[in-house]
Amino acid sequence: MSLKLRAMRRWLPKRMDTLTLPSARDEAWRWSDMATLEAAREIKRVAGHVGSTARIGDGPRLVFIDGYYDPDFSEPGDLTLERVEFTSTHPLGQFAAGQGYELRFPPASFTAPIEIEHVVVGEESHLPLRFVLDDDAVVSVVETYSGGGWSNRLSEFSLGKGARLMRAVRLLQDEGFVSIRDEASIGEAASYVATFLGAGGMGSRIDGFLRLDGVGAFAEMGGALLTRGEQKQEAAVAVHHAAIEGTSRQVWRAVAADASTASLAARAEVARHAQKTDGEQSLRGLLLKRTATINLKPELEIFADDVKCAHGATVGELDAKALFYMQSRGIPEPQAKALLTHAFVADALDRIGEESVRDAFKADADAWLEAAL
Amino acid sequence: MATKNAEALAAANKKYEWGFSSDIEQEFAPKGLSEDTVRFISAKKNEPEWMLEWRLKAYRHWLTMTAPDWAKLDVPPIDYQDAYYYAEPKAKPKLGSLDEVDPEILRVYEKLGIPIEEQKVLAGVEGSRRVAVDAVFDSVSVATTFRAELEAAGVIFRSISEAIREYPDMVRKWLGKVVPMHDNYFAALNCAVFSDGTFVYIPEGVRCPMELSTYFRINAENTGQFERTLIVADKGSYVSYLEGCTAPMRDENQLHAAVVELVALDDAEIKYSTVQNWYPGDENGKGGIYNFVTKRALCQGKNSKVSWTQVETGSAITWKYPSCVLAGENSVGEFYSVAVTNNRQQADTGTKMIHLGKNSRSTIISKGISAGRSDNTYRGLVRVGPTAENVRNFTQCDSLLLGDQCGAHTVPYIEVRNPSAQIEHEATTSKISEDQLFYAMQRGLDQEAAVALIVNGFAKEVLQQLPMEFAVEAQKLLGISLEGSVG
Repeated sequence: MSLKLRAMRRWLPKRMDTLTLPSARDEAWRWSDMATLEAAREIKRVAGHVGSTARIGDGPRLVFIDGYYDPDFSEPGDLTLERVEFTSTHPLGQFAAGQGYELRFPPASFTAPIEIEHVVVGEESHLPLRFVLDDDAVVSVVETYSGGGWSNRLSEFSLGKGARLMRAVRLLQDEGFVSIRDEASIGEAASYVATFLGAGGMGSRIDGFLRLDGVGAFAEMGGALLTRGEQKQEAAVAVHHAAIEGTSRQVWRAVAADASTASLAARAEVARHAQKTDGEQSLRGLLLKRTATINLKPELEIFADDVKCAHGATVGELDAKALFYMQSRGIPEPQAKALLTHAFVADALDRIGEESVRDAFKADADAWLEAAL
Repeated sequence: MATKNAEALAAANKKYEWGFSSDIEQEFAPKGLSEDTVRFISAKKNEPEWMLEWRLKAYRHWLTMTAPDWAKLDVPPIDYQDAYYYAEPKAKPKLGSLDEVDPEILRVYEKLGIPIEEQKVLAGVEGSRRVAVDAVFDSVSVATTFRAELEAAGVIFRSISEAIREYPDMVRKWLGKVVPMHDNYFAALNCAVFSDGTFVYIPEGVRCPMELSTYFRINAENTGQFERTLIVADKGSYVSYLEGCTAPMRDENQLHAAVVELVALDDAEIKYSTVQNWYPGDENGKGGIYNFVTKRALCQGKNSKVSWTQVETGSAITWKYPSCVLAGENSVGEFYSVAVTNNRQQADTGTKMIHLGKNSRSTIISKGISAGRSDNTYRGLVRVGPTAENVRNFTQCDSLLLGDQCGAHTVPYIEVRNPSAQIEHEATTSKISEDQLFYAMQRGLDQEAAVALIVNGFAKEVLQQLPMEFAVEAQKLLGISLEGSVG
């Protein structure tokens, strides 16, 4: 069914005025860059940008410009966008509350990778989206953020029994700020995998709360944050195990150059009855300059006794021995550094299942590395 | 496994062995907290004017602060006006030797289970191992042994109130330098109302001839214990300091807000060991000590080293983060901790390693054991400043859960601003495996002994850092603390 929806979503400026941004005094926001977010709201609107990112496949394409669905640039194919109301108590999510869209995927359906583009041409834009996957539905989504300004997104995911969602999200805005709030409820034997790549010039906060509600559910949220200049990017993700035999993986990599800051906070929560949980966190940071900062917080909150939870966190520079070895084999230093950094980032991006998507993300990461190194 | 573990988990609700209260006459400050209370304490201690001013400044600052709420603790509101801030045992005015100590107090020591060697020392047995004990009974240090011998070595080992009078310059130089009065809510409170504590100064090049030891104990009902410890290790010196705590059984919650400051200059080393078994409250969470402690070490000199070792088994609520500021080049910070929580206890403990000096290194080994309906949190920070080259940190936090009603949490913060740093963090959470328990039991151990053995094995890396006397006591304590949680 083709879509001819006009931009119908309107937030209420009056209510927005009463909302306040979280402050660094709040423990969960101590590494957040709210100053950049404030500045991003002031970025003047400019024309252009639209449709500038290259297509990855030939599946459906949904384009949102400044938080409004744009039917002219979109190719929704069989997708139906329904208008629904959203509420949120999350400090940034509440800015996006109000009217948004829901995408529903019927049982046992299979959808070619959906490309969603969030184009922002300045100031602030807010958009809530909901993805409902019925039992055994298989969906792949690629989201791209481009432009400049404050993009604030609230995404809700509901996965039925045996459903599978593969999400790849890249933050490629030239400037401004991207804030993403994801909330997922994962059903029995369902699988939710989200991989993020922050390789633009903007500041960011990727904030997620994944709830494993069904027995044997699987959740993965991870990715790579690449920062340079004075940029600050942050991921703060919590995975909540509410049912038995759940598995979660949080694999994050951060590369910080110049005077930038990359922060990763990952939390695994295991409820009292969620026995046989298998949780793993791997947070690694790579500092390219002595003026850069990496913050890590791998957090565990465990109330059940028959669980396997482990986390590992490391920060450092490139391994001098590996560099030396590569140079001894005739690879010049800059290239050796690039190769090792590339491999470091690839750890996180390799989690993307779809080959064409993975290649596109790696190309974006490579472009960043080339510029930064 | 749940049933097996539950099997492994019932038994003995043994009463708190050290839950007794001795009748010693006390002199109290008027109830409540005001500038007058601060003045009363200062006057009672014959303190110089600057000290009073310092306390008042801290008190005024404290009034502007709010209690921290970021820890994973459920702290009931504390009425600071409903407590006595000063209680002095009415004993003899001056004590020359231990014989002069109130026999009631000596009996308390005996019940405390002070290690045999130290009991001998207290009893004056010839040829016993030499450990100097400065006992803080409630708020005032009543006996200091081996003072003369320490003085021959140049070591100053005094109660802090004596030191303020006798060595004002030295105390003034360092007091509040590591933990400033505005550092946090409880530190500010301590600065205002601290009643006693210990001051240690080890002169240049001296290796302290004996281990220094202090026992803290909260005795009187409704008295908060606010002791203050300041240890300064001058260039090239070494000292090992042991601190042990027990408190008698009281139904009302008692507040303990201590501040410990350590300073290590060039090539100096301080080893600070704590066994803490304040009254944890009963199985329903009634009573128990609230332990809000600020402990911090400044490794100021080159090649200086501070090692914190703690075995935390007591207190209803523990809020404690012994930290190291590694400012000196090649300085070393270590933190070894075993924290056991049972019944309704809550512990939020860990460390901070602030790396500022080149080539500074730190090691953090934390073992959390939760049982009953308790919550045990490790909270740590490793920070590397931009000028700290070649920093190395290794952190390991392991949690052991006994039963399915308790919680184990890990909140490590890592903030790195120098690429040459190598920071590693590892953590695991597990329970006592059925196989281990079965193996130990088929070799003839009963369930409780088997669990104690396994738990001691789990905590071995930390226990072996303790001085001998403490290691024995700590091992016993681990077993006792977990009684009733496994069976």
